[in-house]
Amino acid sequence: MRRGPHPALAALTVLVFLFLLGPLVIIIGASLSDTSFLTFPPRGLTLDWYQNVFEISAFRRTMVTSFTLATFGTLFSLLLGIPAAYALARYRVQLPRFLANVYVLPVLIPEIVLGFSLMKSVAIGAGVPVMASLLIGHALLVLPYCVRVVGASLNGFDFSVEEAAVSLGCPRWRAFFTVVLPNIKAGVIAAFILAFITSLNDVSVSIFLTGPGVSTLPIQLLAHMEQFFDPTIASVSVLLMGVTVAVMAVIERTLGLTFLTK
Amino acid sequence: MTVSLTLSDVTAHYGQTRVLEDLSLHLAAGELVSLLGASGCGKTTTLRLVAGFLTPTSGTITLGDRDLTRLPPHARDIGLVFQTYALFPHLTVADNVAFGLKQRGVSKAERLRRAQEMIERVGLSGFADRYPANLSGGQRQRVALARALVIDPPLLMFDEPLSNLDAKLRVDMRVEIRRLQRATGATALYVTHDQEEAFSISDRVAIMNAGRIEQLGTPEELYSRPANAFVADFVGYENLIPMRAVAEAGDAVRAQMPGGHEIALPRAIWGDPPSRDFLLGARADGLRAAPSGEGIPATLGLRTYLGRAYQYRCDTPAGELVANGPLSAPMDSGSAAVLVPEPEQCCLLPA
Amino acid sequence: MTARTLAWALAMPALLLVLLGLGLPVLATFATTFTGGEGPLAAYAEFFTSRFRRVVLWRTFEVAAVTTLISLVFGFAAAWVVAKSPARLKSWLIIAAVFPLLTGVVVRSFAWLVILGRGGIVNETLLALGAIAEPLSMLYTQGSVIVAMVYLFVPLMILTLVGVLESIPEDLTDAAASLGARPGAAFRQVVLPMAVPGLIVGSVLVFTGSFTSYATPQLLGGEQQMMMGTFLYQRAMVTFDWTGASTIAAVMVVVTLATVLAMSRLAQRLNPVAS
Repeated sequence: MRRGPHPALAALTVLVFLFLLGPLVIIIGASLSDTSFLTFPPRGLTLDWYQNVFEISAFRRTMVTSFTLATFGTLFSLLLGIPAAYALARYRVQLPRFLANVYVLPVLIPEIVLGFSLMKSVAIGAGVPVMASLLIGHALLVLPYCVRVVGASLNGFDFSVEEAAVSLGCPRWRAFFTVVLPNIKAGVIAAFILAFITSLNDVSVSIFLTGPGVSTLPIQLLAHMEQFFDPTIASVSVLLMGVTVAVMAVIERTLGLTFLTK
Repeated sequence: MTVSLTLSDVTAHYGQTRVLEDLSLHLAAGELVSLLGASGCGKTTTLRLVAGFLTPTSGTITLGDRDLTRLPPHARDIGLVFQTYALFPHLTVADNVAFGLKQRGVSKAERLRRAQEMIERVGLSGFADRYPANLSGGQRQRVALARALVIDPPLLMFDEPLSNLDAKLRVDMRVEIRRLQRATGATALYVTHDQEEAFSISDRVAIMNAGRIEQLGTPEELYSRPANAFVADFVGYENLIPMRAVAEAGDAVRAQMPGGHEIALPRAIWGDPPSRDFLLGARADGLRAAPSGEGIPATLGLRTYLGRAYQYRCDTPAGELVANGPLSAPMDSGSAAVLVPEPEQCCLLPA
Repeated sequence: MTARTLAWALAMPALLLVLLGLGLPVLATFATTFTGGEGPLAAYAEFFTSRFRRVVLWRTFEVAAVTTLISLVFGFAAAWVVAKSPARLKSWLIIAAVFPLLTGVVVRSFAWLVILGRGGIVNETLLALGAIAEPLSMLYTQGSVIVAMVYLFVPLMILTLVGVLESIPEDLTDAAASLGARPGAAFRQVVLPMAVPGLIVGSVLVFTGSFTSYATPQLLGGEQQMMMGTFLYQRAMVTFDWTGASTIAAVMVVVTLATVLAMSRLAQRLNPVAS
């Protein structure tokens, strides 16, 4: 039998994981309390606050906005990101090396600077409507995920298979859809889902681009928190955690969660 | 300082699975013993138990008069050469070799001097300041060797040390390992799955299977007198023919094989069968295919050319056997022949 | 169509998105800092002569550095145990680290409002135990911001380091032990030097992430603990001082890029093998 970690180290690790999960458990507890203020442990149990989430029109509206934005922003980003990732993997020799780094610039530039600059130049400067500005901002925000995750899949793809298809008489464009795409499906799904959750949770870019009338769920949550401190926020948070669980299930099915440690 | 290594009734588990069962083994001082077997036979487990990376469920391990069983690995004073070499990638060759001396509190000047000396001894002068990434496989292997030797351990252990080298280098390195081991006088435990390697390098070899030692002996003993069917098969007896002793005829034993055919085994040459039912183990070289004579009747099948002989797949009453025939008289497939057992290439085994 | 043309045609749409959506607007923001003030460098002179701005910059720096340091220590310890765990336990621990990471910043910061607030768990517990007579005000302090930031970034550190530690072959620590290195010595002389690149990557991620964060300092720091992110928002959206906001943005970009560059230099110096 192998020797395990030092007991003190093991104890410290237990504490770290309690620290990581404890607050989330507290939110779940608080969302069930029948008090009108946030408290943990909950006094009496009720699901009223969940019902309340859907009764507040601002939450209903921003939920729809956020999911629409995350879906279309991510699709838009994938639409541009997949060809780019394909070009980077397939035509390594023909493209300059720095190009791969250009696509991950949105990670390097602080999100809040991106949000502010987009508001200044695109939303106000160029007069682009709120929803379109948000779409551009979110597509940019998630582009690095799309290019990197799809790229990781493509790097594991043997392009001689595509050449085989072409040699058998399949046109290039069709070879991409019938041979390449099915083989990188896991990567595309994982990219979508990672990008989706990133977009859904975004604050720093959206905060500058939302305006009266159009807002996203996290921004609405922030606004709500400044006025009310009731368990409704906890209920929204728990619903968002539910989305996280779904997202993790998809990642586990596609690339495996250990992908995130690489 | 040379000392002996003794494992007494060592049993080990991985979780619920028992991987080693009551294993006992004694290495005399200065002796090199190989553990030979297929993957999963327990040979690497045995080595890791001695090194201290695993703890036995029961049994004891002693080195000289020290009981190692409960000692942590770092207190065991064993020079270990890994299959992967396990060189520290962030240290130079000199620092890799000096690592063990540093742990022993040897002064910097002294350890660099001794590391340098050892680096020269393994033929790597001029490479002291390189990093492992910039060395060839053979050079890395030499660094690993130097690193294990420089601490002057009473026991050296090798875990498949040559399996990542190409064939020619393998032969050179095993000579080198033997030479250095002899020179230091250290007792050595050598793990390998390569029979030729084990036989060429060892004083004695232990053939392992399913967590047990099937046979322990000199290479000559194992090669010519395997103790059982497993060992015989392992050391290359292609044919294991079931036999039953049916009669004694003077100084010969008459034995019957499946299909009813009988052959006479003169005791003076073959010795006594180990039991009434037994196996006749024969290498392909030990079954001579001939057009006629006293032997096992056979129909010749596929013929292949070996360079020193022709080899035939033969259909016999005892099933398919492999036999060799002389280059001077090739026979056609489909023809009838007899297979004559050559006693010096055969053995009698318990069924 | 040549391969080169095709390659560029495929790469172009995403490139345009980055150049037009990020490149131009960010450059425009930089330009504002030079043109918006009295002279070319007036905006920066104003920034660095204002005591308040220097305090905000320094506070942000301090919070980010302390967050990085704490995340590094706890993240490393936890990552080590995770990396050495048996497969099944390991996947559960990774799930436990990924879950908070994928849960939004707002939700995770909100949890600390519930915990540290006047009627929060900590105060309630201490009051019930009789340890304090009056609820403590823990919100809107630097401490509360740091706790929430550490909470935000420890999972990132753990996941980064688990990957790095797993890539250190077990044979190397075994080899160190067989050569007589005690566990502590093997850790210092083998594991730590080999983990340096991962420690640096993790530190860069945490430092830049906390240096540029917005939601957490907004919720837990408020006006009292203004940081660069919240200050940028306040300048831009409350006082509509776009030159000032642009200057803050420029300083953030410079600090972020300088950190990334300095740390990758450091990584190269500490790791001669990689070169």
